[in-house]
Formats: sequence, C-alpha cells, structure tokens
Amino acid sequence: MADMLTIAGRPFRSRLILGTGKYDDFATMRAAVDASSCEMVTVAVRRVDLDDPGLDITGALPDDALLLPNTSGAETAAEAVRLARLARAGGLPDWIKLEVIPDPRYLLPDPVETLRAAEELADDGFTVLPYMHADPVMAQRLEAVGCPAVMPLAAPIGSGRGLKLRDAIRIIIEQAGVPVVVDAGLGAPSHAAESMEMGADAVLVNTAIARASDPVRMARAFRLGVESGREAFLAGVIAESEIAAASSPTTGVLGS
Amino acid sequence: MTRVSGRERSIVVNGRAHELERGETVARLLERLGFEGRYALVERNREPVERERFDETELEKGDEVVVARPVAGG
Repeated sequence: MADMLTIAGRPFRSRLILGTGKYDDFATMRAAVDASSCEMVTVAVRRVDLDDPGLDITGALPDDALLLPNTSGAETAAEAVRLARLARAGGLPDWIKLEVIPDPRYLLPDPVETLRAAEELADDGFTVLPYMHADPVMAQRLEAVGCPAVMPLAAPIGSGRGLKLRDAIRIIIEQAGVPVVVDAGLGAPSHAAESMEMGADAVLVNTAIARASDPVRMARAFRLGVESGREAFLAGVIAESEIAAASSPTTGVLGS
Repeated sequence: MTRVSGRERSIVVNGRAHELERGETVARLLERLGFEGRYALVERNREPVERERFDETELEKGDEVVVARPVAGG
C-alpha cells in the first residue's frame, strides 16, 4: 500500500509542499515545482497594482496542484480572517495557510492571534494549516480548535538554519494527533531528511529552493531528501550508543 | 471647480478614484480595469464578494473596493 500523507481526508503522494515566493521568474518556479513532485503550493494574496497588473501566477502552476493561499501580511487575527474569506470568495480553495506575524525582524507568529483566527476559520469551514512556533502546547491547542495539521517552524523564515527547534518539534510529533509539517527555516535537503527521519509528516520549503543557484536541481534534491528521510523513518533508525559496536566478526581474526 | 456628476458616481478601487458607468457591476469593473487571471478576489466595503455574484453585484457611489489576486508567496 502506498505511503500517503492525508490531511483533512485528502491524500497526497508527496510530502513536500512548496512556497512560490522569491523565484526569479514563473518559468523557473514552475520547473522547480515539477522537479519537486509536490502536489500543494502556497500563494499569497495581494492588491492588484492597477497600473501594472502583471502576470497571473496560477496560470504558471500545474492544474492539479492544490493552491494553498496564505494570510501573509496579517498582523492580527481579524486581518488573517479577512484575507482567508477574500480568497475563498474569489474561488480559491478553502484551505488556508494561516500566518499571523507582527514581527518583521524574526517573522515569528503571534500565538494568541493565530489561535483566535484558527478557531474562527475552522468554525467557518476552512481547512486551516497554521504556521506556528515550535510550541507543543500551542500545537495541541490548534488541534483542539479543529486544525487538521500543524506547521511548526524549524528556524526563522528564510534563514536556512535548519532544525534549530528540533527538541520541541520532536515533542510536537510525539503528541500530535494530526500531521506535523515542518515549515520554515530549512536550508538544505539534509534538514528536510532529518525532519522526516524524526517523524515529521511533511515539510514546506520555499527560500532554500527559490534562492539556490540552481532552483530546479535543488527542488529535486529536496524531493530526494524528503523521500530519503521518510523511508528511513519507516525503516526504523537504530538507537544511538555511547560505545562502538563492531560491524565485522570479532572472532577468527588471523593473528600473528 | 467641482464635477458634481463625476462625484455622484465615484467609488474608490484600491485607493484610487474610479468613475462608475450606470449599472456597473463587479464583473464590468474587472473588465474596465483590464483584469486578467483565473482568480479575481474582490472586496466591497470590506465584505468579500462571491465570485458567482460578480455579474449581479452592482456597485454604488461611495463604495470602497479592493481587487486582489494570488501572487507568489511562501
């Protein structure tokens, strides 16, 4: 049986979710999305510049990819709810990446406003995937108000620093009754692999791929990293030992 | 100098004044703005307008309209 990720009853073959920001152009972004084999991509919602409307990003994305609008730009629950409702009314999916971020330097989420918005949006029928600090209690609270997944950050957005919050994420994974998506801060495929090895259900990556020298190749590398880590998790990583354990027979040595 | 007739039909779209045609709907507004794309996200007086109602939603003087769209983001 295939190893599928299921969020809110929807199955995904891929455990890699891509952000679409920061690519040099749509063609590169599309090629990276294809190379990653991802099935879900995030988009932001912004006012149209009436003087320069620009191109429609959704025209550059695969038709079968699930668009996940985010609430970036929201600093309060009310602003996030407003963005989500606007996106849904305009025909975007009722899946929403909830992010409520008042702090421009570290881009850390506001837990109080995030929980408030999550509850309101879940009650309103949205499938709410919340970006959150790696706080195990917060993860439980978000799950309790109806979030079908939680998305703790590994390190500050775009920092590429990897699993700085490993221990807290491990606790979230241990306690979660919903999928855990490690979101933000991953810089290399090894970080993604490590997340998956410790039991994360998926990872969300943007900057590490979009700003790589070769984004398309890096998208493939992340795909392999995620698959590798997932396979290792399912295979069962051995327990660490303080001392060595010989790999070759300790008897029958030729001697002098 | 006041252009009374203009003011009577004026709305604000993304912070800019827009002179309404008689009976202008959201769909017609998007057409006049030259909006292209699969998803127009429209708010009228801070309330989202359902896509299915773009054709029938007539704008009124004094309305404040936001036209947004999905863009690249993480």
